[in-house]
Amino acid sequence: MSDADTENVVLRVDDLQKSFGGLAATDHATFDVERGTITGLIGPNGAGKSTIFNLISGFYEPDGGTVEVNGTDVTGMEPYEVAERGLVRTFQTPRKLEGMTVREAMLVGPRKQPGESFLTLFTSPGTAAESESANLAEAERILAEFEIDHLATQPATDISGGQMKLVELARAMLAEPEVLLLDEPVAGVNPTLAKKLKEQIRRLNEQGTTFLLIEHDMEFVMDLADPIVVLDQGHVLTEGPPHSVRNDQRVIDAYLGGGA
Amino acid sequence: MSLLDDPKAAFADLTRPEWWVLGVSVAFLLFLFVAMLTGGLSPTYFLFLVGLAGMYALLSFGLNAQWGFTGLINFSVAAFFGIGAYGTALMTASGSPIAGGFNPLVGLAVALVVAFVLALLIGIPTLRLRADYLAIASLGLAEVVRLIVLNERWLTNGSAGLRGIPGFFVGWPVLSTFPEAMPGLRLEVVPGSPVFLETPFWQASLNGLLVVAFAGGAYLVLRRAHRSPWGRVLRTIRSDEDLARALGKNTYSFKMQSFVLGSLIMALAGVFYAHLNLYVGPGDLDPITTFYAWVAVILGGSGSNRGALFGGVVIVTIREGTRFLNDVALPIDPAPLRLLLIGVVIVAVMRYRPQGVLPPQRELIWPSAVDGGGTPETPDSGVRERKGGGGDE
Repeated sequence: MSDADTENVVLRVDDLQKSFGGLAATDHATFDVERGTITGLIGPNGAGKSTIFNLISGFYEPDGGTVEVNGTDVTGMEPYEVAERGLVRTFQTPRKLEGMTVREAMLVGPRKQPGESFLTLFTSPGTAAESESANLAEAERILAEFEIDHLATQPATDISGGQMKLVELARAMLAEPEVLLLDEPVAGVNPTLAKKLKEQIRRLNEQGTTFLLIEHDMEFVMDLADPIVVLDQGHVLTEGPPHSVRNDQRVIDAYLGGGA
Repeated sequence: MSLLDDPKAAFADLTRPEWWVLGVSVAFLLFLFVAMLTGGLSPTYFLFLVGLAGMYALLSFGLNAQWGFTGLINFSVAAFFGIGAYGTALMTASGSPIAGGFNPLVGLAVALVVAFVLALLIGIPTLRLRADYLAIASLGLAEVVRLIVLNERWLTNGSAGLRGIPGFFVGWPVLSTFPEAMPGLRLEVVPGSPVFLETPFWQASLNGLLVVAFAGGAYLVLRRAHRSPWGRVLRTIRSDEDLARALGKNTYSFKMQSFVLGSLIMALAGVFYAHLNLYVGPGDLDPITTFYAWVAVILGGSGSNRGALFGGVVIVTIREGTRFLNDVALPIDPAPLRLLLIGVVIVAVMRYRPQGVLPPQRELIWPSAVDGGGTPETPDSGVRERKGGGGDE
């Protein structure tokens, strides 16, 4: 492959395999995520979407195949190492941080904080304080952009499910990802907030973040994502722009349970 | 804000449980003070109690740094305490079968190094796994360490224990001869019951000074760590380790740091104990110490350093206070009921205040960052009361 190709591809999944017992959850899946896109990953229940997310982000170890982020092979790396290379993910169910306020929970996001080194806290507390101030200001700026700054000092466990999704997305942005994996960003979110989430994802995408998202809400994903990768029984069925995917007979069969 | 900069604001900021604890503590101290003046409580014994309270506070600080911050379940508090005590005793005691006679500072260093190595050895295989594995492994570790101390006579003197441990300040200028050099004092506040302040009192006050230095130092370190980004990663791990991993945190390394830090503080408690008691034996490694530390942390409120301190003091109060009940005419001997009493207290706390007496009550962001850039209003009255609840058993 050419250099230009590598530059445009921020995430490359090649021949990825993973079985649980006799079940091939991911069966030789291959696809690319191009820089600057919002790529959708869809498929019927049990198609292996979440497994692929876990394989890409380092939570599962693949049985075979490779994952590349920005041209670096990250196969088999720990999740934190994958994150260090610019790939951050969120989870299907919002993760609650017990006993933290929203802005405190936001402050977990930034990577490589000087204050995360125990020694720095005592050898140069000034550095830690400085970066904490900067991160707090940044967190509050992003909360304001997401129009949830009024929640900043609320307990993080006390906000609605949809707001939690917004906070998750906002926090993931603090980690400054090049490619952000969203696992069902609007599942269980009311239509108003879902619309807001869509606008935010689009805005962040325009500012340069690449997205790969799993979503069951077809209207949402067809409107937002291009291209769309369709997964069925662990392998890639087809990929392409929304309108062609929507009219693809194999996709319809997969969703209706036929075609097997 | 600190108490010194702005006492009024600091007091106005106190929550209700804090007022309660403050009030009860002040009343209790006044009571002890009066008891001392009237001769009911010997000042030397009082200082011994302060030493014990400081020791338990150190143990619960250590456990809080592991369980309260990070959610690590460590059932080998007694082992790290014992390593601390035996580490310094083997270096300094005249009855030590291997070394002996070294300066207690050497003992302190050796104890901390051994505890550090042991924490690494137990942490490396277990901290990558689910939380329960550390719990099981540490349970075994505590017994292994205790049985080694009991049986390896060439190393530890076995069941006879180690005698002839010097005070911590032996060999220091001024402080080593301070107790003898001080004049004996005789105070008579209440006519007929004089209070004597003699060499043992001055010796005990040195021990008090030592434990205040140890516990105070540990508290300051933990307080800074707790409200730092470092502490925030630990709290994230406690709530949801996968989230921390997805955000690029090397959770294994953070858990290891938290585990080692807590273990070192526990060993510090052991070092102090050896130089307070001047004798250590295998009985000091009994699992009951682990149990007391857990009760103290849960009682005080998991995750709260002040809670750990409070819990430690309560444990000593119950343990030692019941001795005095013997003087009161009771139909039964209450001392054996100590454990029962502790059990009742823990059941009552779990029933009526499951988050502990003094759970973390404020958001933990580096103070200057909030004062400088953040929103000015008093943070999160809503977080209070709810913090640390639920997940703590």
